[in-house]
Amino acid sequence: MGDEKVIRGGKNVVLSVLAVVLLCVLLFPVFWIVVTSLKTEQEIFRVPPTIIPEKLNLSSYAAQVENGDFNMFHSFFNSFVISMGAMVISVVLAVPASYGIAKYKFKGRKMMLLGFLVTQMLPVAVLLTPMFMLFKGMHVYNTPIAAIIADATIGIPFSILILKNYFASIPKELEEAAYIDGCNRFTAFIRVLIPVAKPGVMVCAIFSFLYAWGDLAYGMTFIIDQQKRPITAGIFNFMGQYGTKWSYLTAFAVVTIIPVALIFIFMQKYIISGMTSGAVKG
Amino acid sequence: MNQTKKKKLFKYDNVGILFVLPAFLYMLVFVGYPIVKNIILSLQDVTVRTLTADHKPFAGLQNYIDIFQDPVFVKSLVNTLLFTVCCLVLQFIIGFLLALFFNQHFSVSKPVRGLMLIPWMIPITVTALMFKFIFGTDVGILNYILTSLGIISENIDWLTSTNTALFGIICANVWIGIPFNMILISTGLTTIPKELYESASIDGAGKVQTFFKITLPLLRPTIESVLILGFIYTFKVFDLVYVMTGGGPVNSTHMLSTYSYKLSFEMFKYSKGSAVANVLLVILMIVGVFYLRATKEEEE
Repeated sequence: MGDEKVIRGGKNVVLSVLAVVLLCVLLFPVFWIVVTSLKTEQEIFRVPPTIIPEKLNLSSYAAQVENGDFNMFHSFFNSFVISMGAMVISVVLAVPASYGIAKYKFKGRKMMLLGFLVTQMLPVAVLLTPMFMLFKGMHVYNTPIAAIIADATIGIPFSILILKNYFASIPKELEEAAYIDGCNRFTAFIRVLIPVAKPGVMVCAIFSFLYAWGDLAYGMTFIIDQQKRPITAGIFNFMGQYGTKWSYLTAFAVVTIIPVALIFIFMQKYIISGMTSGAVKG
Repeated sequence: MNQTKKKKLFKYDNVGILFVLPAFLYMLVFVGYPIVKNIILSLQDVTVRTLTADHKPFAGLQNYIDIFQDPVFVKSLVNTLLFTVCCLVLQFIIGFLLALFFNQHFSVSKPVRGLMLIPWMIPITVTALMFKFIFGTDVGILNYILTSLGIISENIDWLTSTNTALFGIICANVWIGIPFNMILISTGLTTIPKELYESASIDGAGKVQTFFKITLPLLRPTIESVLILGFIYTFKVFDLVYVMTGGGPVNSTHMLSTYSYKLSFEMFKYSKGSAVANVLLVILMIVGVFYLRATKEEEE
């Protein structure tokens, strides 16, 4: 079971095939919406369903570039702005905070750490109405800023809890050497510690981005104009209005997955590391 | 001993707080304040008219009394618990089996296991749409497969019937949860020393015996944290249910979170919505205490 024995020969082939079959079953829903987005509306409703589109139909994608109110590329851009904003705030605030928590002892350290842990468990339902009132008061309601501020509250505690471990594992000799070279606490932190903790910073940036990208509750509650809404809220709106227009809906969904897929392909090791660090998904 | 070492390095202890303060203040304003505000809201009587007014009528515990007499709230509470338990059991078992399977070293074990994380990464709105499509009555492939296998004779209204809608949502959520369970248990498995298995096999222990005598007990901390984190994450489910059924049909799939949202943002009964959210919060915090205790052991 836990042994390092490498399996060879016939058993290896059987297990490998079985693994691929399991993967195909698990990922079938994803495959299915990609295929559906490339079919015509008539073909989608055909019985028996076609596994590969008979005629490649890209009009579901094209139609939405033209369609004013439900322009998915516009929504995509909104989501991108919101996610980048939330990511920047999360990283800028979480990197120094996690360093402070990992390397210093000060009054209230435990209390603050507890606070960050607790915020990770909060349900959005508790925050929506008060945030809604707060954002109205700040005059950022119905602007991307509201969603950015709210999404960063997911990224910050997650990032602090992950990065704290990275900073804690950096040997103090490294920091001492920086002091001898004439660094003070802040320059040592910026020039020496951040570069060493870079993989951790990457994990935080990626997850903060992904949390914001996947968010629906904040985006749809704090932004009401369809034109300004993120892509997840766009899908939701679209479902409400054109409930069964599956060719458009699935095309919308595929576009939403693209950045996630790219991040997954190019940064898989960061994702595994982020997932195993005890994260609660937003 | 550790502490004296730290002290040597950091003479100005309270400098540390300067690093933490910006993030802490941010969270205090945008999360801490809303939590307090939500408690206050639930003790008032706030509607659209009084939302922006300075004076909001005080209602005491009336909102809480009201919601506990509201059959939809009770239904939501039961649903949330049922949903959470079903999801936890299913995703844990499947995740565990997959972790054991991929813990064997065959040619493609590592890359395939990596690809199995995809469901966890996909935005929940998309997952909800995907399963809504698969569970669709006429358009859904699930009905087609079941019909062609001869299991059902006519299409089932999976998500539009009160009997099956919750089941559909559970399936979607288990799909999201499998990778999370699998990867955490996989990581836990790698921490079990190989020597234990070697000596067990020398002692003539079978595979089943080894699993129950070695793997399971040594995996206990991992299992605990997987289940607690899974509970917290599943119990506060919102997006998935909101997109798949919106709590319907006839309130049969409302969770505490979606019902709270409906009360606040569709019926504009802000105080009732806040009260429901606070009930959700209290349950999460009770479970959260276990989580904090587990991480505290890790800290020290």
